Amino acid sequence: MLTTTDQGADDSQTRNFKLIAHHDLGGFGGLGEGMSIQIAKDGRRILWLAHESAPKNFTALDVTDPKSPRMVVQTELPQAHMRSNSLEVTGDIMVVAYQTQKAGQQPAGMEIFDISVPEQPKSLSFFDCSGPHSRGVHQLWFCDGEYVHMAAGAPDFTPRDAKDDQFYRIIDVRDPTKPTEVGRWWLPGTREGDSAPAPVRHTPEFDLGFRAHNTNVYPQRPDRAYLGYLDAGMIVLDISDKSAPKPICRWDNSPPYAGFTHTVLPLFERNLLVVTDESVVDDGADWPKLVWILDARDETNPIPIATCPMPSRAVFAKRGGRVGAHNLHENLPLPTSWFSDQVIIGTFFNGGLRAFDISNPYQPVEIASFVPPAPPLAPTGAIQLNDVFVDERGIVYTVDRHVGGVYILEMDF
Amino acid sequence: MRPSDLFGGSPFGRRVRRPGAGRVPVTVVTGFLGAGKTGLIRAALASPDAARTAVIVNEFAELGVDDVLLRTSAEDVRLIGNGCMCCAARSDLQRVLRNLYAERETGAVPPFDRVIVETSGLSDPGPVLQLLAGDRALSGHYAVSALVTVVDCVLALDGQAPPEWIEQVVLADRIVLSKTELASEAQVARVRAHVAALNPGAEILEASNLRADPLAWLAPVAAGGARGFRAAPAAVGPDAVSCQSFVLSFDTPFRWEVFLQVMETLLALRGDDVLRVKGLVHVEGCAGPVAAHFVRHLAARPEELTAWPDADRRSRLVFITRNVSAAQVQALFDAVLALAPPPG
Repeated sequence: MLTTTDQGADDSQTRNFKLIAHHDLGGFGGLGEGMSIQIAKDGRRILWLAHESAPKNFTALDVTDPKSPRMVVQTELPQAHMRSNSLEVTGDIMVVAYQTQKAGQQPAGMEIFDISVPEQPKSLSFFDCSGPHSRGVHQLWFCDGEYVHMAAGAPDFTPRDAKDDQFYRIIDVRDPTKPTEVGRWWLPGTREGDSAPAPVRHTPEFDLGFRAHNTNVYPQRPDRAYLGYLDAGMIVLDISDKSAPKPICRWDNSPPYAGFTHTVLPLFERNLLVVTDESVVDDGADWPKLVWILDARDETNPIPIATCPMPSRAVFAKRGGRVGAHNLHENLPLPTSWFSDQVIIGTFFNGGLRAFDISNPYQPVEIASFVPPAPPLAPTGAIQLNDVFVDERGIVYTVDRHVGGVYILEMDF
Repeated sequence: MRPSDLFGGSPFGRRVRRPGAGRVPVTVVTGFLGAGKTGLIRAALASPDAARTAVIVNEFAELGVDDVLLRTSAEDVRLIGNGCMCCAARSDLQRVLRNLYAERETGAVPPFDRVIVETSGLSDPGPVLQLLAGDRALSGHYAVSALVTVVDCVLALDGQAPPEWIEQVVLADRIVLSKTELASEAQVARVRAHVAALNPGAEILEASNLRADPLAWLAPVAAGGARGFRAAPAAVGPDAVSCQSFVLSFDTPFRWEVFLQVMETLLALRGDDVLRVKGLVHVEGCAGPVAAHFVRHLAARPEELTAWPDADRRSRLVFITRNVSAAQVQALFDAVLALAPPPG
């Protein structure tokens, strides 16, 4: 350990990534977990970004030249109690999630836009998810141009525990002017009136909700939905009949871990699942929030076989804000998305952006990291990298949760 | 379904863009005493381009760093500003490299991006290359990015340089001509021509007043050499250190196990005289070339690259040997390939 004060130390680090541009989004650099690329009809490459909180709704950046991003449009939310947090783009259709601070507030739901003219997003419809017990939509997945898979509340859904308001919903948007629910699933026992017993709550400091988060569906297995279900762990559903999803398996690491399972990324050709638990408490209080590697050769019985190396607790836990796993690049089944089943890239809040070689799934190795300095006015005093997307050119975009905006990088590994 | 089905991609692991990608690059600096190795490194440390470098020397005094910011409890690491640190490897480079990596992981030392190792004594770089090739723990974290040989332009041609410098030049990936400001243009040109003849594959840089662009001399080199696959035409140097380089190419893709059988036989018979072998191997079933690197008896971890560097799909290997000829090595390849049983 160091024996004297670390004079002049620079907390930032960049290893095997190369920062090529940064954009602060005009001072509104707090971004959520919606990042998607559109190739506009005129050939421009537009990066659409969801903001983490009001007043901004979403921002579009022209990243045709990734070294010189330019803002195309930035929109406002109608209410200060809203957050957009998540969006996805397929073709010229964009879907945006709206969540409210409290149940019962409005508007809460999903808005669908025609973005064929990126400067002028045109609202096509609004799918209302508000209700007395609903905070609306937290996250959504939209890759096939036909169905939105999302974590959402509903007017007719009364959870036994208020924290369990958002569940898995499938929305048919083949006519984007008339979105219609075609299926839903919730953890048995979480809805008022369920015959199943209510789930055993986590201890009070980690009782954060048995509700859906990421809801991934891939063309390799269109009959499967891969859900991060927060305090319920990871759940795989059979959605061959969208009107009646059926559970295939559930893997729950908590307790003894601290819940908040966020992302399930299937690597189909390797029979692996990569699962993250999100850090949601500052100063390492929910340490360790991990990236898990699961052996899914038997899809009914996934087995954890490794975790990715974490940023040093000694270095990061008290640096400010959260530290631990959160979003991964999810190999979106879109032509604008990079694909790898060898390298996993994820964000770790103040632990920055990290890439892992998982060619040996039993022994993941960190091969690159990017921890920028704390952006000016960072409320936690540290960077809080929140989400990452890698385009098919291999350009990496990562965003800060509070003020830092977008960092654009090249991979050198 | 077997657990091995969980391993994806290439039999060589993750395909990489360049050899050593994802590992900490190690630049090994060699050159005879007084050639200017230390001055070159000191100048680099003063440049922002070489920020976050860990330098490993024999003695702190050699580097002459007097602006030490911080000493760590580990006696052999001193932070010297610019995110750089200086480490003394008085006897055990292996231990220092292991400790450095572990201390970086725990935050005990800053997150260095590269390592420079200054070789000592007579500056035989072989043991350093062998260490990084052969130590399984180290080779998982570090990769040699370039062997840089510093050549004193004033002394190189007047007989004052020790004979070992020939070997250092032949082994190098990159050659830095130092003290060019003290030599005439004609002298520098003669030295340049001489070292280019000794090692046509190496890139040659000049460092006036011991200043060379750190981005240039620290950059990783390609698998076959900075200037591609080139070889010296004949054995060079005094008898005591006579060495040569040659390039062999093979049109037919190898089965990897057969390629290894050739190399194992060669190294078992003449490993002491096979100073270095590096290049690209076209392996059956692999989309990209496999970067191979051998140092005397030891093989570094082979890596499959994501793409070939050009349209040429032949296996190409540079051999740097002492008293082992191209014809002898070619004959060994021919014999083993002829005897190798069919796959199955």
